[in-house]
Amino acid sequence: MTGLQINGLGLVGGFGCGAEDLQVALEKREAPVSRVNLRDHLFPLFQADTAALGNYLNKRALRRIDHFSRLALLGAFQALEDVGPLELNRERLGVIIGSGFGALKTTFGFLDSIIADGDACASPTAFSNSVHNAAAAHISMQLKLTGPSLTVSQFDQSLVSGLLSARQWLAEGRVEAVLLGVVDEYCQVLGYCWERYFGEQISSKMRPLDFDHFSAVPGEGAAFFLLQAEADCAAKYGIIDSVVMGQLWGSRPTLIPGQPLVLGCEGHPLNGGIYRQQLPENASVACYTPLYGAAPVTQGFDLAVAALTLKRGEMFPSADSGGDYYSGSVVTEARKVNRLTCLRYGFGGEYAVIQLKGNG
Amino acid sequence: MDIKTKLKQVLIEELNLEDITIEEIGDDEALFGEGLGLDSLDAVELVVVVQKHFGVEIKDMEEGRPALQSINSLAAFIEEKQK
Repeated sequence: MTGLQINGLGLVGGFGCGAEDLQVALEKREAPVSRVNLRDHLFPLFQADTAALGNYLNKRALRRIDHFSRLALLGAFQALEDVGPLELNRERLGVIIGSGFGALKTTFGFLDSIIADGDACASPTAFSNSVHNAAAAHISMQLKLTGPSLTVSQFDQSLVSGLLSARQWLAEGRVEAVLLGVVDEYCQVLGYCWERYFGEQISSKMRPLDFDHFSAVPGEGAAFFLLQAEADCAAKYGIIDSVVMGQLWGSRPTLIPGQPLVLGCEGHPLNGGIYRQQLPENASVACYTPLYGAAPVTQGFDLAVAALTLKRGEMFPSADSGGDYYSGSVVTEARKVNRLTCLRYGFGGEYAVIQLKGNG
Repeated sequence: MDIKTKLKQVLIEELNLEDITIEEIGDDEALFGEGLGLDSLDAVELVVVVQKHFGVEIKDMEEGRPALQSINSLAAFIEEKQK
């Protein structure tokens, strides 16, 4: 395939806002876990703050934009800003948004309002924000991007699905660049479901390499990438060499021996067993989900970490160093690298593999 | 709270007008365009807001256009319908 250059990053999550905040969290190997109100108690969450969006838009422009779309907009603005002086033709810039859950707060709020006040009093604005492509629409309008727009919802394969579409658009020459972002948000219904499913197992310390025990903490946020076809000029953050999505029922992911793996495991025993069974014995792994939490689209943050890694040419130490519960090889110290793979297994045996390389 | 103050409060809350206060909305100020700066999407939202908070239905644009001119005209419309 034609490689995809990563030339801009936009990030907001529990670790903070922007690539610098993520880099600080990677170096410290920790990020703060917030405590949010859930009925009569506090609930752990990697919470994302969109206050920095005020640097790009005034309050009047933001008034119809909900938290989900604000996360997306903040990521989008940052990614375009990060491109720097590079001239982008906004008529030939495509937008692809991926989300596992969509605008949860608005969707449930809208449904609640119908129950409380009847359908005649349902808010038109809340309805328009509850549709999955609202975030893409806000981005296109606010950033004046008039290229093609697509919203993908394939749970935790939304990122790779979006990457495959981006690659296709660039290969066809439909666009000169793609602004691709993944977004998911927390809402109280999600917290309620989380507790119903996982009950007393909930902790605030993630140990994702402990494949047998639950330790996932929910997270929210957005990860955006400005992608362009591989060219003679160097990529700002490295190049996506290959994107594969599949299902273990019919195939196995092809992993390159010796290439470090950034694992998307999040402390769910449901798919922890798959990681344990499928990982090559001598694989060198790192996992950074303890810096942004668990959500369908956190592979977007894994990809951002990979991009930052290739930019500096050195792996960040894994946020979970393993210990007694993981006997394999974990990246615990910074080490030189020019190629790496992001690997994520879903609960039903789906897999998503993104292989990246540095410049030259 | 009188109906005009309640209207202004509801407008700010429901239309997320975080950049203005109740005191800054004039009773005769135009709600749309130059005045408060609301637009056609707000008009649709306002119809719902009036029904939800005041129990008054704006049936069509013929009825809505004169009512939605200002806080004064909207308050008068609501009071008339509530009689």
